[in-house]
Amino acid sequence: MSSPTFDLHELEFQRIQAILSKMQRELRAELVLLISRSGQPIVISGSTENIDCTALSSLAAANLAATDGLANIVGEREFSVLVHQGRQRSLFISDLMKRFSLVLVFDATASSGLVRYKCKHTTLLIEDVIRDFQRRIEKSEPASSLPQFSDAELEELLGS
Amino acid sequence: MTFINYVAREINCKIVYYGPGLGGKTTNLQYVYQITSAENKGKLISLATETERTLFFDFLPIEFGQIRGFRTRFHLYTVPGQVFYDSSRKLILKGVDGVVFVADSQEERMDANLESVSNLADNLREQGFDLAKIPYVLQLNKRDLPGALPVEELQRQLLVKGEPCIEAVAPQGVGVLPTLKAVARQVLVELRKSA
Repeated sequence: MSSPTFDLHELEFQRIQAILSKMQRELRAELVLLISRSGQPIVISGSTENIDCTALSSLAAANLAATDGLANIVGEREFSVLVHQGRQRSLFISDLMKRFSLVLVFDATASSGLVRYKCKHTTLLIEDVIRDFQRRIEKSEPASSLPQFSDAELEELLGS
Repeated sequence: MTFINYVAREINCKIVYYGPGLGGKTTNLQYVYQITSAENKGKLISLATETERTLFFDFLPIEFGQIRGFRTRFHLYTVPGQVFYDSSRKLILKGVDGVVFVADSQEERMDANLESVSNLADNLREQGFDLAKIPYVLQLNKRDLPGALPVEELQRQLLVKGEPCIEAVAPQGVGVLPTLKAVARQVLVELRKSA
């Protein structure tokens, strides 16, 4: 078997983007990301000028995975939230449906309780969007509409 | 987990380089980093010990180009090869789309190669994958060393399912890109099947 795919379409992108933007505004966060648990950035809200979001996503996913491993070792089912507090910036990472993760970069002076509360709320909203999408796919749409590329196109991409 | 972004028109895939310690997994990524143009690569991140042994993983995002208007982005990871980092290896296989096994061709490393292939199969199974079905390439590295076993002998012992087998000398770049392209091709073909 190969790995399952996750498709992001326009409607879901817009809905998730709106949810993340709202949270970013309310918390005055620098950056909010929805990432896959395999480490790929999916939707980003905020300023990406000073932060490499690809690297951030990869490290955040690895960090969360390592934390899951730690939880297992000490007999916990999971540690679903990770907080790294810095002098100027802090980082909040939380699990979302075991397939995704929410990552926030925010001012270290912000209330961590408020961040936690807003993240919990946002997580539920995004879960709704993803479940809606899954239901829609099951009802009417094909699981993926990736254009069928030919062998020749593949060879052109990869060379010999 | 392959992530297809229809809004940004991107295909994102995860490739993991697996194999015994000091086999050349990190060197593969370093060579890919060296020869890839700046606009087609991100930062090479290495989480290593003070003696430059991989502690958790190396990570390199690269882009091959477009197919049918979709940018193809591959996230390349290595695992730590040393036996006692097994927990880390399992974590890195999460959501993998394709695996490169970097074997050390030296005779004295054959046991380590075999142990690592077996460990790969076990760890993939734990993550819900089957080595017999996942896109997979065998790279025979260190072909330039005097103690390298004949290719036929290595293939006899290490081939799992008739996967592509590529000879390499990673520090010189020999076989590095053909290996990457071979696994990328399999991943994209699998993706096309599922579309």
